[in-house]
Amino acid sequence: MIQVQNIQKTYNLSKQQKKELQTQASSINAVNNVTFECQPGRVFSLLGPNGAGKTTTLRMMSTILKPTSGDIIIAGESVVNNPQKVRSKIGFLTGSTNLYDRLSPGEVVDYFGQLHRMDKNTLSQRKDQLFTQLGIHDFSKKRIGQMSTGMKQKVSIARSMIHDPEVVIFDEPTSGLDVITANSIIELIKDCKESNKTVIFSSHIMSEVDLLCDDLAIISKGDLVYNNKMENFRTEYAGTSLTEAFIEIVNNHQDQLV
Amino acid sequence: MHTILTVFKKELIDTLRDRRTLISAIIMPTILLPLMLYGFTKMSNSIMKKETEKKLKVAMLDAPQTFIEALDTARYEVISGMDIESGRDAILSDSIDAMVSFLDGYINSINTGSTGKVNMWYKSTNLKVKDRLSTVIDDYEQNILDNRIADMDLTKDAINPIELYQYDIAPKKEQLGKLAGGILPYLFIIFCFTGCMYPGLDLITGEKERGTIETLLTVPASRFKILMGKVLTIAVVGLAAAVMTILGLVAALKLLPDIPAHLLETISNIIQFKYVMMLFVMIIPLSFFFAGMISAMVVRAKSFKEAQSILTPISFVIIMPALIGMMPGIELTWTTAAIPILNIALATKEIVAGTINMGHYCFIVATLILLAIVAVFISYKQFSKEGMVLK
Repeated sequence: MIQVQNIQKTYNLSKQQKKELQTQASSINAVNNVTFECQPGRVFSLLGPNGAGKTTTLRMMSTILKPTSGDIIIAGESVVNNPQKVRSKIGFLTGSTNLYDRLSPGEVVDYFGQLHRMDKNTLSQRKDQLFTQLGIHDFSKKRIGQMSTGMKQKVSIARSMIHDPEVVIFDEPTSGLDVITANSIIELIKDCKESNKTVIFSSHIMSEVDLLCDDLAIISKGDLVYNNKMENFRTEYAGTSLTEAFIEIVNNHQDQLV
Repeated sequence: MHTILTVFKKELIDTLRDRRTLISAIIMPTILLPLMLYGFTKMSNSIMKKETEKKLKVAMLDAPQTFIEALDTARYEVISGMDIESGRDAILSDSIDAMVSFLDGYINSINTGSTGKVNMWYKSTNLKVKDRLSTVIDDYEQNILDNRIADMDLTKDAINPIELYQYDIAPKKEQLGKLAGGILPYLFIIFCFTGCMYPGLDLITGEKERGTIETLLTVPASRFKILMGKVLTIAVVGLAAAVMTILGLVAALKLLPDIPAHLLETISNIIQFKYVMMLFVMIIPLSFFFAGMISAMVVRAKSFKEAQSILTPISFVIIMPALIGMMPGIELTWTTAAIPILNIALATKEIVAGTINMGHYCFIVATLILLAIVAVFISYKQFSKEGMVLK
């Protein structure tokens, strides 16, 4: 379970940044008093236009960034007070396949398994299981630098899931992938849901959201502007497509700000 | 410790598969440096031999017959019929090597016991020409002098009232240490720095640029331990580069052509366990100092290129004290022992010469350890900042 409790992330602006943003303010709120909950066995979609604060929120959940105020409780642990315990319970996957080009998939997955302090046998079994499931065995000894984007994304998934995390955080996981590889990610999200994991993902692809999502939240300019169950959303915006509803919600919020 | 070693093991494998690191840390110091040294010495010896044995074409103007007869015809070809203008042009166009002109009244001056004047034209860019002709003229002059002494019924001892015998009692090891000991730290300090530089760029900025740092920061390990694993890798590669430089130089010196036996014996005398260990003990904290300093600096950079532009001027800052350490007259004192890099350069000279003061040595090692701790601490402080680690 993820409990996001009134989190805020403020960045101080340098002179250069003030000039670029054409503002006199000394700081900017990337995320502003956001609160929501994600339940186990359900898929939570976090939507928002570019620069809305989705990635910042997901980075705070994955302990890469520390909230300026508020807290996030993940599987009972606070990201502010106990980030290391949180890290042992989460799997984090981004759309940009960030891997080590000079290592093989086996080496990368072993590295992350060891950093998660998995014992040798468990690591070996789990790696074998994931490699079979994702079809990595055929290229498990090849250097990552010589692989296609799809192959790399499969290795990224194996790396994120090696320690069998309770909570899985996906930041635009299918961005830039071909249909077949994107589908493997969608299948993975479904698997996570079936195995009662808490899943949160951000995406710009509304068809994916429609297909997978149980709960929905929309962020615009750092503010949480919508948070509801998907079934309620469908009732509320009956006859309107998800894309149209999303645009309406975001535009309304931005009009209010103006 | 488990996390540090896990990060270290992975980073070492990753680094050793990087061509740039392999070239700068292993191939350059162990293979290319000795090969360059060997090749340069061999080529330089060969050029010098060729220049010494080459038959010189020398234009003679108003030369006395006795001088021309004194020339070895196998090594000198006398060119006649030139004047000063055409002789100068011929030297400049390399059609002759030199010109010697005996001025008006030369023979008369010699015969009357006064000084005869001789001009010599040559190009200093043509190696050995000046030296060879000067030797010929000196020998000719000595012959005239011997005749004058004989004519005056004097002995050679009469015009040489003092005969000085000089004894250099400095051990060969000390002489070599003071003369050549400066080049050793200069090379291993540079290679240690460049050895740390590429892994530093790759493991800190490279990871940030590729975005792999984000996923690494989501594992249950503290940033301190992750950084320590990286710093350890950077320091080990820098240390390996420095050690490889020393081994490469020793190998090159043993293989160099025309090295006198006594010099080889002196070199073997220097490579004793005690001296090698003393060098090693200094290089370990030096590598950690470089690793910490480089990590702290490149963590600010957003890209590999930006990091390179930060480190390039730093490499000049590192070279300067090492160069000062090569200068004669700069000695190891309590003051110079406190100046980073210069202290290691001077201490190496003293270690090679066998004249190191153990008080100075311990102080230098302690200073280097302190610097390494400070550098690593600063890099940890930088690495802990969100803005530094993320793009």
